[in-house]
Amino acid sequence: MSTATHIPQKGSHTGRILIIATHAFTQLVRMKVFYFLAIFAIITIASNFFNLPQHEGPESVGTNVLSQIKGWSFGTMHIFSVVLSIVATALLLPKDVEDRTLYTILAKPVPRFDYLAGKLLGVMLLIFISLALMDGLMTLVLQIRTSMVAKEQMEMATTLGWPQREIDALRAETFSNGPSWSMQGAVIAVFLRASIMASLALLISTFSTSTLFTTIVSFMVYFIGHFQADARDVYLHGGQAGEGMIAKVTSLLFALVLPDFQIFNVIDAVIQGETMPIIALGKLTLVALYYAMFFTIASWFIFSDKEF
Amino acid sequence: MKLWKKSVVLSIALLALGVARMPYEAGLTRELRDARLLPSALDIGTVEKIGQTSAAVAFGGLRTLIATFLNLRAFTYFTEKRWDDVADTYDTIVDLAPHTRYYWDSGYWHIAYNAASYYMYDSTLAPVRRKEAWRTSILKGRSFLERGIRNNPDDWVLHADLGYLLSDPNKFPAFKDQRETFSAAADAYQKSAETGKALGYVRRFRFYALARVEGREAQALALARELYAEGTKNRTPTFLSLLLVLEAHENPSMDTTARAIELFGTPQKAYSALSGHWQRINERFPIFGIAEAMATLENRLSIPEKDRVLNQPLPAPRNLEKSFNE
Amino acid sequence: MVETLAAVEIRDLVKDFKTSFRRKPLRAVDGVSIRIMPGEVYGLIGPNGSGKSTTMKALLGLVAPTSGQCSIFGKDSLKVDSRNDVGFLPENPYFYKHLSGVETLRFYGKLCGLGGRKLADRVGELLALVDLEGARDRRIGGYSKGMLQRIGLAQALIQEPRLVILDEPTAGVDPLGSRQIRDLILKLRERGITVFLCSHLLEQVQEVCDHVGIIFQGRMIREGRLDDLIAIEDQMEIVLRNASPELISKIAALVKDAPDAELVRTGKPRTTLERLFLREIRDEER
Repeated sequence: MSTATHIPQKGSHTGRILIIATHAFTQLVRMKVFYFLAIFAIITIASNFFNLPQHEGPESVGTNVLSQIKGWSFGTMHIFSVVLSIVATALLLPKDVEDRTLYTILAKPVPRFDYLAGKLLGVMLLIFISLALMDGLMTLVLQIRTSMVAKEQMEMATTLGWPQREIDALRAETFSNGPSWSMQGAVIAVFLRASIMASLALLISTFSTSTLFTTIVSFMVYFIGHFQADARDVYLHGGQAGEGMIAKVTSLLFALVLPDFQIFNVIDAVIQGETMPIIALGKLTLVALYYAMFFTIASWFIFSDKEF
Repeated sequence: MKLWKKSVVLSIALLALGVARMPYEAGLTRELRDARLLPSALDIGTVEKIGQTSAAVAFGGLRTLIATFLNLRAFTYFTEKRWDDVADTYDTIVDLAPHTRYYWDSGYWHIAYNAASYYMYDSTLAPVRRKEAWRTSILKGRSFLERGIRNNPDDWVLHADLGYLLSDPNKFPAFKDQRETFSAAADAYQKSAETGKALGYVRRFRFYALARVEGREAQALALARELYAEGTKNRTPTFLSLLLVLEAHENPSMDTTARAIELFGTPQKAYSALSGHWQRINERFPIFGIAEAMATLENRLSIPEKDRVLNQPLPAPRNLEKSFNE
Repeated sequence: MVETLAAVEIRDLVKDFKTSFRRKPLRAVDGVSIRIMPGEVYGLIGPNGSGKSTTMKALLGLVAPTSGQCSIFGKDSLKVDSRNDVGFLPENPYFYKHLSGVETLRFYGKLCGLGGRKLADRVGELLALVDLEGARDRRIGGYSKGMLQRIGLAQALIQEPRLVILDEPTAGVDPLGSRQIRDLILKLRERGITVFLCSHLLEQVQEVCDHVGIIFQGRMIREGRLDDLIAIEDQMEIVLRNASPELISKIAALVKDAPDAELVRTGKPRTTLERLFLREIRDEER
């Protein structure tokens, strides 16, 4: 080893990003985040046991349990994905700086963009896999429970002498509250929103020096982001209520700067049995992709000549 | 580049891209509203809108979660008979999850039925107050249900619930104008049927309500003929009796006896069904031509005087007023 | 003679740090120039806070110079490809605690684009070099300070760089551990790898470096070949073994006869405390 012309092979961007991503992923996994999945399992299964008495007719039997399973499961997925996307992202960067592991990585031929993108991808990978596991469990529980509810309803309807056509209609309606493709779409929407939050937290953490600051600011943006659409409405359709110039400009700024998280409330509609067309999911994906890319590029812009 | 310079560049980029995305997001929001995937701002009242905005604090995916918890709470209030709390809780629940039928369905049921019946026998209230509380609770349940219908115009169950409430004999005194109430019940059942998802009984029930609306007899008769033509599943004794009544109303000179035998098959069956109809005074069904047909049948079947239904006193009407005084 | 490309070329490096809004920026490095030729072992010495680490970070592109230039084998330090040929061991490094020694080296190797058989061989080779084969599958979280430093060195060498930069490589390490590190540095020198290290432990620098620079308050105050710098030009040392007192007096007489020479001192040479310590425990081990 002394050939002065020796040039080590460099590897590709994608390769490096994937290495950093898998590494960030294992790092988070070994921080025991998957314990959360056990909590999720308990919640999903527990949601089965709160069956309230119903007032009349086969069509009402057990319907509240189905929406309850979905409500609890999605609520847990939501909390998990948003908290993890913010906290994990806010944690990874400052931790590398503090432990000086960042020096050793950046002293290798690793472009800073690869480093950032890798970390972000690692967090997203973790969220994606967690959500997929949760989704699998929820779908399973819901499927079993829907069949049970349907069976109970069928028996009751048969006893009451309902015509077959109506029994079939009821069965179809009950199953429409069970697992559906729209529900899978809603899980994807949960993931998309978490991805936006992770990339946003990444951007904030390139500015800030503390995990706490990043976390707080990210949650604030997340919170206010749910009112962005209202601000936009005030700007676009305002005037009737006699808002002043200041209100108009403020709402415009709000609408321009903040991401619109209200569109992700479609998740609630899907939980309630509405159908989400694939085109709507596609458009949501575009929105998420837009934010994630912008925030990541902006993070790199700030991070590219940051000093350590 | 200095950090402050970068921040300026970044802010400009943020604003510029904000301008670029605004039309897209506004359009998408409109689209999702049209697809009922986002709560629409148009078909709900202002008061509800304020409720929804504050409820937006519960973010996507969490609203339904909180609704399920509140539902458990509402059930506790129900078991504790805290009716005002039940109603308030359901108001919040449906703000959070306006498209879940179950909440509207059970909320209205608690208010219009459970709470109302409770007040009827509430010994802590003076009789006058009891009736007022009973009536208020039923009307509250109705308006709650109507709000649910506005939010879910395609839900056949909610429409049918309203029809059921408005044509429930136990609730008649709660509504001032009986004719208008039956009319509204018929319309509610019709809207339920129009969703295309309703069970078969809904159209029959529409007919039962419509038959009781003075002035809409012709419409009721047309519907009855339609239902009759659909086959035997609709031909319950109540249905056939009402069909006969409406035909007699349309054509007073009709031979109701012959028609009754034709409809029910035998004179015995006709007499038994019509007697039942004659005695159901609580439901306030019309009875054109029934007495005449019954008298003829009694003669033809040689029913002894003492067993003749027409000779017997009618059952005492259910006196709700009495309940309030118990 | 063909001019060879310098391994490290730092020219008039100036680095200011902002302290607060109003006050004047702090000048951490003030016009430092260093040139290290391939194969040299260069030691940068100076007290804490004199600008050693900042100079190294500038060379690695971790901080951007306020003015001046840094390059590694002719490649600008601000460019990523300058890092192909350099390995870095930061001061008091921490690695990912959840990884084992092998996993750590594999991770850094992959970052450099290594993989497969080649990486596996390289990892094994380096673990042998830094004497950590026994701890290869242990989590880094359980490593001692000296082991951390050694795995850090192995990490720096993973892609076979022609230059390694070591920031206080023996800080906080016990004498035995620091001896191992010193031996490693000497091994690197044998292999022809250029080493740029900084330390405030002068003795160690003296033992391994052939070139040194003394930096104080951000300025380079002395630089050159170690032997040149520390030689006392008008003196000469003769170390004898088993010399009889007669021989000593003969030599003294010879010196007295010479016109300009003067006998400054005779006596037993002192070992350093560090050498004594190491010798004693080595004897104990036997």
